[in-house]
Amino acid sequence: MTTTDLEHATSYSPLPDSDHHRPPPSQWRRPITLLSGIFLFMLLFSSLIALVINQHGQQQIAGDGTPLSSNSAPAAKKVLEPISRGVSQGVSEKSNFQLSSAAAVVETYPWTNAMLSWQRTGFHFQPPKNWMNDPNGPLYHMGWYHLFYQYNPDAAVWGNITWGHAISTDLINWYHLPFAMVPDQWYDIKGVWTGSATILPDGQIVMMYTGDTNEEVQVQNLAYPANLSDPLLLDWVKYSGNPVLTPPPGIGSKDFRDPTTAWVGPNGKWRVALGTKVNKTGITLVYETTDFTSYELLDEVLHAVPGTGMWECVDFYPVSTTESNGLDTSVNGPGIKHVLKSSLDDNKHDYYALGTYDPISNKWTPDNPDLDVGIGLRVDYGKYYASKSFYDQNKQRRLLLGWTGETDSEAADILKGWASLQTIPREVVFDKKTGKNILQWPIKEVEKLRSKSTVYKKVLLEPGSLVPLDIGAATQLDIIATFDIDSTVLEAALEADVGYNCTTSGGSSSRGAFGPFGLVVLADESRTEQTPVYFYIAKGTDGVASTYFCADQSKSSTASDVVKLIYGSTVPVLDGENFSMRLLVDHSIVESFGQGGRTVITSRVYPTKAIYSAAKVFLFNNATGITVTANVNAWNMDSANIK
Amino acid sequence: MKFFCLFIFLSLQTPLMVIGDRRLIESTCKATPSYSLCLSTLLSNPKSSSGDVSDLGLIMVGATKVKATQAIQHIKTLYRVHPELRHSLNECSQVYMAVVKADVPSAVQALDGGQPKFAEDGMADTAVEAQACERSFSGRGQKSPLTQMNKDIENVANVARAIIRMLL
Repeated sequence: MTTTDLEHATSYSPLPDSDHHRPPPSQWRRPITLLSGIFLFMLLFSSLIALVINQHGQQQIAGDGTPLSSNSAPAAKKVLEPISRGVSQGVSEKSNFQLSSAAAVVETYPWTNAMLSWQRTGFHFQPPKNWMNDPNGPLYHMGWYHLFYQYNPDAAVWGNITWGHAISTDLINWYHLPFAMVPDQWYDIKGVWTGSATILPDGQIVMMYTGDTNEEVQVQNLAYPANLSDPLLLDWVKYSGNPVLTPPPGIGSKDFRDPTTAWVGPNGKWRVALGTKVNKTGITLVYETTDFTSYELLDEVLHAVPGTGMWECVDFYPVSTTESNGLDTSVNGPGIKHVLKSSLDDNKHDYYALGTYDPISNKWTPDNPDLDVGIGLRVDYGKYYASKSFYDQNKQRRLLLGWTGETDSEAADILKGWASLQTIPREVVFDKKTGKNILQWPIKEVEKLRSKSTVYKKVLLEPGSLVPLDIGAATQLDIIATFDIDSTVLEAALEADVGYNCTTSGGSSSRGAFGPFGLVVLADESRTEQTPVYFYIAKGTDGVASTYFCADQSKSSTASDVVKLIYGSTVPVLDGENFSMRLLVDHSIVESFGQGGRTVITSRVYPTKAIYSAAKVFLFNNATGITVTANVNAWNMDSANIK
Repeated sequence: MKFFCLFIFLSLQTPLMVIGDRRLIESTCKATPSYSLCLSTLLSNPKSSSGDVSDLGLIMVGATKVKATQAIQHIKTLYRVHPELRHSLNECSQVYMAVVKADVPSAVQALDGGQPKFAEDGMADTAVEAQACERSFSGRGQKSPLTQMNKDIENVANVARAIIRMLL
């Protein structure tokens, strides 16, 4: 500083040898003394006020009504209840220990190497080690399916997020490729987060993704392949003008992420959606663009649902109500409904709803507002999050990928060196029979892993039956089972198990008149460990029967540091249908599909005994009032090549 | 002259700021399992006076890191002096390395990035690892030289976790 401009100096340190800058002492001495006096007085006065208020405050602090003595330091012996903030629906799934109190810590099971290494899957996508979460930018290009995913290169916990990359010709056997994107720019240095791909009519691939900037602001960035004629799409270029989107006014800088695949609007411009929230209302913003570098935020949100909180990983796509093929994301017209899906940050579940999209007003309206996004149907009732669909133009299918995290302890994850799986890709179609939900079904390609087949026909299961199935190695299986019951018995009953709920039911050992019945997998001979997946029919006071489809982890392991919830929901069963389930069993993951994929449940299980050759499969009927006839087709599954 | 007035003005703000944030610190610590540990840890860090709950969480995670790093150093010293405790000390060293290298960075990044759900796992695990270290001695019929240290880390991690849960 060369001036004597004291007026404008806000943080001013006197220049050491600039005598002519020092104010002449004689002019300032008296005012300084006066000012110092005033200053000291005011400081003392306000400190006194502060002290009084603090003391007063302390006396009001004990929340349970017991006043603390005004001199008692916070080191008083009083133990204050921690306020638990678990999800109101029941046990919180945020923490892997079903605990609402942070004080209690479950003892770690003494996991052996044999137990831990058994947990790795045979045919589910996972990197060789470390942490994975959301699937990103899935696409098909020049003969290869591409999967990108959130990955931590350094540890088996979330962090340092990078885009992992793998390719496949069949979505079952995979090749791991080098990272597609790493956090190396100021606009994604704190994390290269989730994004989606849009394939333009001319074949160009546009990748939009969220970057966490050096100042922890969430922004949207553009990237594209360095070489479009490279079928492996090894190298990616980040647009030099990134970020292309920053949080708009009124939206929190940490509430702005996960851009969707774009679709064409009625004016020929592209539209991209992002989930966010305003207070506790989850909303979806829509931006318009022609070039993916400059955007205009549309005034109206696509949709909003109060009370649902932050919407992550929004997905928005059309389904045909008449045909069985999938549709490109831009398709619209008669015979089409739109699925709006959101991952709710508040409870870590994926929800969806069917509705109608009006492109002119850019509004999506749910078919049934009572089952709107976030308050109605879940994509999967188990451990499943951040799912993302894409249009597979190769086979004209809408495919769905989803992240399945671990439900064991983080300590075990660190010990075994990895965490998380991707589910087997599912084909998504509209359920023409019910008209009210989608169907998810494992892609046909998974059937190529089927090796030995074992068929059981017309197995009669009286009440209380347990029938072992001789299937050989029972840790990698594809099982389809159908169950028939005498419906006249069911019709005759006035009511049964009113208010049944998979989660609070007590599991497969809780016997009702018309349930539970189904399969038991990953069980040891004496069933000290077992994972039953079953149907349970309840009849309401109105005489209407509801069928529940549940996966019971309550006795899945003797270890105490794993989640032991019972997952599930109702599943529509139409007149004339029997009860059908399909299970993909693959070591520590079981994907269960009820009624052709109307209700899907992904479970993670960590048995200590029912592993390797000790794992068995049973049919069971624990209902008291009905006999069940079962047909089973079980295939042993080869491992996939994932290298 | 102007500078002087500004200085006075700013100084007068200090007690007022202290009032407001002290309330936040106290109410935050009330909701953790160790009120006094929480209060003393936060108050001894000057950043707590101007922080929101996420910042308080970060301070607590930082304190956890400090204690875990100290534990690793202490374990190295004990290793030389107590060869009979080698196996247990080795286990303890490994679990605390995991805390410092994986759990803490994950929690810090997650809190900074506005993704508290990923932060909770790291601190939950830290408490588990501290317990695991303590049990590695009892499991071998040995007396643990790290009991107080392990307890301290478990407590501070539980406090951090409780603060993080407030953000969920």
